[in-house]
Amino acid sequence: MSTSAIDLSLPYKKRVDDALHNKQLKVALDRATGRMAGQRVAAMGAVDAPRLRAQVRQMKEHVLRTWPELLEQLETQVTANGGHVHWAKEAADLQRIVVEIARKANVQKVVKAKSMATEEVHLNQALQRAGLKVVETDLGEYIIQLAGEPPSHIVAPVIHRRVEDIAAIFQRELDMPPTLDPQVICGVARGVLRKEFLSAEMGISGCNFAIAETGTCCIVTNEGNGRMTSTLPRVYVVVMGLEKLVPTVEDAFLQYQALCRSSTGQQCSVYLSMTSGPRKPGDVDGPEEFHLVLLDNGRLDMLAKGYGEALCCIRCGACLNVCPVYREIGGHAYGSTYSGPIGAVISPNIHMEVTDVDKLPYASSLCGACRDACPVQIDLPRMLLELRRDVVEAEGTTLFDRAAMQGFSKMMQSRSSYENAGKLGSLASNVLARLSGGNLTFLPGPLSPWTESRDLPPLARHSFREQWQQRRAARKQIV
Amino acid sequence: MADKRTYSSPPRRVALFVTCMVDMIYPEVGMATVELLERHGVEVLFPLEQTCCGQPAFNAGFWDEARPLARRFVDIFEPLLRSKQIDAVVAPSGSCTAMTSHFYRQLLAEEPGYPERAALLAAATFELTEFLVDVLGVEAVDAQFTGRLTYHGCCHLLRELGIDRQPRTLLQQVNGAEWVALNGEEECCGFGGLFAVKNSGISTAMGNRKVQNLVRSDADVVALCDVSCMTHINGLLSRQGERCRAVHIAQVLANQVDVRPRTLPEPPSQPLEKPRRWQDTT
Amino acid sequence: MSNDREEILARLRAILRRPDLPFPPAAPAPLTAAERMVVTEAAGTPYQLALRFGQELEKLYGSYEIMGSAAEVRLALLHRLDSWAAEEEAARRGPKTEMQGQERMVLGWAPDRLPVEGLAEALSDIGWQLLAPPRLTSPEALANVRWIRFGVTGVSAALAATGSMLMIAGPGQSRSASLLPFRHIALIPFSRLYPTLEAWLAERRAAGDLELLLRSRAGWNLITGPSKSADIEMNLTLGVHGPRHVHAILFDDL
Repeated sequence: MSTSAIDLSLPYKKRVDDALHNKQLKVALDRATGRMAGQRVAAMGAVDAPRLRAQVRQMKEHVLRTWPELLEQLETQVTANGGHVHWAKEAADLQRIVVEIARKANVQKVVKAKSMATEEVHLNQALQRAGLKVVETDLGEYIIQLAGEPPSHIVAPVIHRRVEDIAAIFQRELDMPPTLDPQVICGVARGVLRKEFLSAEMGISGCNFAIAETGTCCIVTNEGNGRMTSTLPRVYVVVMGLEKLVPTVEDAFLQYQALCRSSTGQQCSVYLSMTSGPRKPGDVDGPEEFHLVLLDNGRLDMLAKGYGEALCCIRCGACLNVCPVYREIGGHAYGSTYSGPIGAVISPNIHMEVTDVDKLPYASSLCGACRDACPVQIDLPRMLLELRRDVVEAEGTTLFDRAAMQGFSKMMQSRSSYENAGKLGSLASNVLARLSGGNLTFLPGPLSPWTESRDLPPLARHSFREQWQQRRAARKQIV
Repeated sequence: MADKRTYSSPPRRVALFVTCMVDMIYPEVGMATVELLERHGVEVLFPLEQTCCGQPAFNAGFWDEARPLARRFVDIFEPLLRSKQIDAVVAPSGSCTAMTSHFYRQLLAEEPGYPERAALLAAATFELTEFLVDVLGVEAVDAQFTGRLTYHGCCHLLRELGIDRQPRTLLQQVNGAEWVALNGEEECCGFGGLFAVKNSGISTAMGNRKVQNLVRSDADVVALCDVSCMTHINGLLSRQGERCRAVHIAQVLANQVDVRPRTLPEPPSQPLEKPRRWQDTT
Repeated sequence: MSNDREEILARLRAILRRPDLPFPPAAPAPLTAAERMVVTEAAGTPYQLALRFGQELEKLYGSYEIMGSAAEVRLALLHRLDSWAAEEEAARRGPKTEMQGQERMVLGWAPDRLPVEGLAEALSDIGWQLLAPPRLTSPEALANVRWIRFGVTGVSAALAATGSMLMIAGPGQSRSASLLPFRHIALIPFSRLYPTLEAWLAERRAAGDLELLLRSRAGWNLITGPSKSADIEMNLTLGVHGPRHVHAILFDDL
């Protein structure tokens, strides 16, 4: 294969280095993120975006405040519609519930529409362990399933791959004749996956939002695999993060439009599929069995720990597309199902195994582009700062860092020690700078990463305060 | 951005919060700031007790280490304000202004007595260009600059404080400058404080994007409002031998910046020696 | 398992009762119908709305035509089917083995659910067969329509501002007809045209049957253009799983 995906279990530093040195990844990310960000700006710019963002935000705040009541209402309505509701506290609970549903319904093959929640709990692996065949049907998800990789973007799972890489995967796995035409590649996938849709007994999808007043689960897709998944198999299972609620039908359409405009820059996605239970008597088609599985897996912890604002997230991916860090390293370097700025906030809270999860809140320059792009106005930089505080409080930093920060704080707490340090620093840095011809080109120890790629000027020979005092003294003499 | 104090008559006396980086590395930026303020009839006080606002520790998650510095900052500046010895605090930095007027709310939330004092201070603390344009109503600056000029909006200034129009207004008044467009002018330069060291690889990649855009813009000088980002951008430009330089806006407005006219021979493509001080070479 | 339910709800209530909880705000106001915005606006006469609908659909690589009456729709559809079939036949690369006699079949809504009368008869006059199985749930039933290239449906509502079609499944109104075939042809009378989705919702809400409608009909789909993907490097590819072509025939029935 021309590029290898980054191993999520590697240490953070290694993941990032691998990403930064992966030229194909850089090309793929450059091609895609810029375009997605541009499309969002155009689509949000075409409407009253501040008002839309404020309204979705208001709606989501109301949802989280009335969360338990809305969950109960949703459960009542889904049940009244003839569906079954299940509650899963942890990943293992969800796996057990879904495997049980499949076993009871005598299922051999499962088709899946894209779902981050099922990625989060590794549902595919659990179903496969139970002897089921699982086929991802979103084109991007299908490609990475063939390649044996996890998704690297909330909305565009195979954003890390160039068309050349994808063609190579299809040639290897599906005997596709050589081509770089995306339309041909897509046609091959259509043929293969159509057979799977027509023969699968169970469909599983995520849930973009569920309407509490009617018990309706909604999925937003462009390809139509979500419709297939919710229409053709005998059993349809929706896996839903506990927070993905909207109170009314009108709220659903409001959020739907904010989601489409923010994620892919569309007015409307091609399909919005809304399922209220199994097919009714007299219906031509549709599933005969409908299950909704509600997943906690750390969402309540997130609320309890003060990160509830992140539960407003509608998973549009806009923060990833504008994030200058994501653009350099892609999704896999985050080591988690959820990447980018929102991933750095979700991952430490959700119950997932993420290597070096403490490093994620630091994987940001705190530039704030994510907050500006977020359709729900989530203050991601603020939460990243608070997560960093949590890391320090949990003694998650090195002893050296702690000692350095304590020393820094002590030094800055007194004018004299600050001034003395300045004088000493000026002397030392100017000697060093003279040796290297003007600027500092080499710094020792923990500061050495700076001078690996950047010069640094020495401290001034005379600080501002010295010059200020001289000036004042001179003025006094004149007067 | 939020709840800034308004003045019925123009403020006469301000305290300069010069920031530790300007104090120790770029005194000329501090001097330019003083000159600009005095030029517009404002008397400048400089409380010598000031050191650092605590941002490096705060951003790194060391809030217990940042808190004494925040309290100290409030203890130095707030009494001056309360006793009406000064009308405002002015800083030549978007980032440090954001720290003291925005993030102190978060940091000092549970320090008895401090939230109110910090709020009073925050309402009267201004970034330099914000103070010049919004408070003093400065429209024309008597500045001269011969060369190609562009602008980089630093992240905290732009997205925490919402300041963008003010520096642009001032730069557009500079005589003789040829304005050039900069691609991605609102994208982070990759500095991010300790991020630049702890995540040096990512930081450099981000900075290199900025450098590429600057080189493509063909600007001689990119003006900005934070010496931290300036240090990062110049560090990369200098290492890569590019002639473009980042310069603090106060230096441009106070006529500290001189660019050799384009009619002179271009400098050698490979620099013969590393520039001694960045300001001298631009 | 029901234990998990009780535990989750009890814990959630306990967390939300905490006075020091930083988020959500203590009493955020629900978004009221009066303040909720219309995201994408449209207005005009039925013909103008039809035009807007078509233009929006065209931007998304769909196609449309506007007819004066249902009779014209019949003729247009017959003509279209023949020319599309010929077009596809000419473009065919592989051998013609797999169609299993489904070349001249159309998968549709039941004739009495379509907004144009006499369509089945008109089709059979020129050698086409309109298929509207009452059940499409078994593998055998699906195999019988597996290779059909054309789907013909009506709509529950068409929304001009975004070029979207709302399809509500029910007896005689299959979900499959707008999903499985390569080409989806939607017949849209002006009486089903609304400026926006919000306008349609407001009308249903005012009539008091919105909730009932959602709960009595299990499958709703809002369709906006042909199936597409941008998963491969953000390149647009059409017809990934759903129809590659969506053609709307709008007609005046007012």
